[in-house]
Amino acid sequence: MKYGTKRGETEMVAKPKVAITWLGGCGGCDEAVVDLNEALLDVTNAVDVIFWPVALDFKYHHLEKMADGDIVLSIINGNVRNSEQEEVAKLLRKKSKLVLSFGACACFGGTPGMANFRTKDDIFNWVYRDAPTVVNPQGNYPQVKTKVDGKELTLPAFYEQVFALNQIIDVDYYLPGCPPPPDLIANAVTAVLEGKLPPKGSTLAPHKALCDSCKRNKTKPQRIAIKELKRIHEIEASPDTCFLAQGVLCLGMATRDGCGAVCIETNIPCRGCFGPVEGVKDAGAKTIAALASMLDVQNDDEMKKAMDSIDDLAGYLYRFSLPTSSLKKRRT
Amino acid sequence: MSDFEPKLVCFSCRFGWGYLGDQHALSAQIKNWIPIICSGKVDATHVLDAFKHGADGVLILGCPAGECHYQDGNAESKKRILLLQKLLDACGIDPSRVRMEMSLDPEGKKIPGLVKNMSDTIKKLGPVKMV
Repeated sequence: MKYGTKRGETEMVAKPKVAITWLGGCGGCDEAVVDLNEALLDVTNAVDVIFWPVALDFKYHHLEKMADGDIVLSIINGNVRNSEQEEVAKLLRKKSKLVLSFGACACFGGTPGMANFRTKDDIFNWVYRDAPTVVNPQGNYPQVKTKVDGKELTLPAFYEQVFALNQIIDVDYYLPGCPPPPDLIANAVTAVLEGKLPPKGSTLAPHKALCDSCKRNKTKPQRIAIKELKRIHEIEASPDTCFLAQGVLCLGMATRDGCGAVCIETNIPCRGCFGPVEGVKDAGAKTIAALASMLDVQNDDEMKKAMDSIDDLAGYLYRFSLPTSSLKKRRT
Repeated sequence: MSDFEPKLVCFSCRFGWGYLGDQHALSAQIKNWIPIICSGKVDATHVLDAFKHGADGVLILGCPAGECHYQDGNAESKKRILLLQKLLDACGIDPSRVRMEMSLDPEGKKIPGLVKNMSDTIKKLGPVKMV
């Protein structure tokens, strides 16, 4: 099936409806859509954007009135941490033919997913009681329902943990990245409009690891031997040499390609925002296998020294993907 | 807690552990025993999968340092386990739930005892919480 009309055509055909929304995200994914620049005009000419809270004033009740399946594509970014986000995700799922999980937060939980290393109580106590900038003498905490002047005010319920989108609703396609790059966004939208989609559940990005296309790959020695890991700010990193060869932990070997190596181009190692490569569920576990083989240690003392040089290994390996990893969250 | 029986998975290298013993008799004594060719075969993914499927502990039996049939598979596995323990700790799973023993026991007579020792330790920790 082919949707929409080309720019300039005057034929009055109902354009396919598209919704874009942000749940637990920073807005960077919405900005990435805007970064399509002129191509965005082609997109808006081909589709009716019927919901995009960050850009236009639409209300949830507009969505509720639509028929089920009326929206051709819902592009949902951000994770699910509260009841409002869950409600919107489920409403869009009901009204949409296709749901695209857009960006690292929707696909894997993203950076905010690292909150799963803490409990809800830890977070509330820090944010509303213990942080040095907090002044809260009455010890007020946010409540789902509060009576004020005889009226009831409500807030969404804050969940115990962060969820990726597919842990809440059925997802048709995935486009990872923090944020996804314009070329992959354009490809994804075009594929939907032209009806040229891969099997359901596919990730609309390359299958191989970032190292595969990295320009620095040719500088990688045959065997990487790291005695101690360095963080990027601790060395004068060469702009052309493989980070691992410089002793800096780069996650390119266990991260899906497709980002355009924008971090590497700015001399920052890969942090893993594209998630695991095709067929891998837990990028952190796979990184351990690769990292262990690179640690050049001969005895327990050397191993201890190498281990001590790694700051917050769990946070580094699951910077974007803790909620969808095997471990998911901290047990209490 | 007294009726809690920990579920343990035991991976052991075929080159160093139990290859002269009666496999059937050993299998009957050791639940979830997985003989493998080199402890270096055990990936962090396998250990995490074991926990995901309800294991309370994972014991890996490898050859002594410097005696790996494949040069350094046991050393590689040890490094992986030490790194993995950091991840487990960050997620509230006691690192002692994964243990690596580097020794030799061709008859495999020590294996049931090692499994029991580890079970006793884990019994005190209780089950791994499923999330």
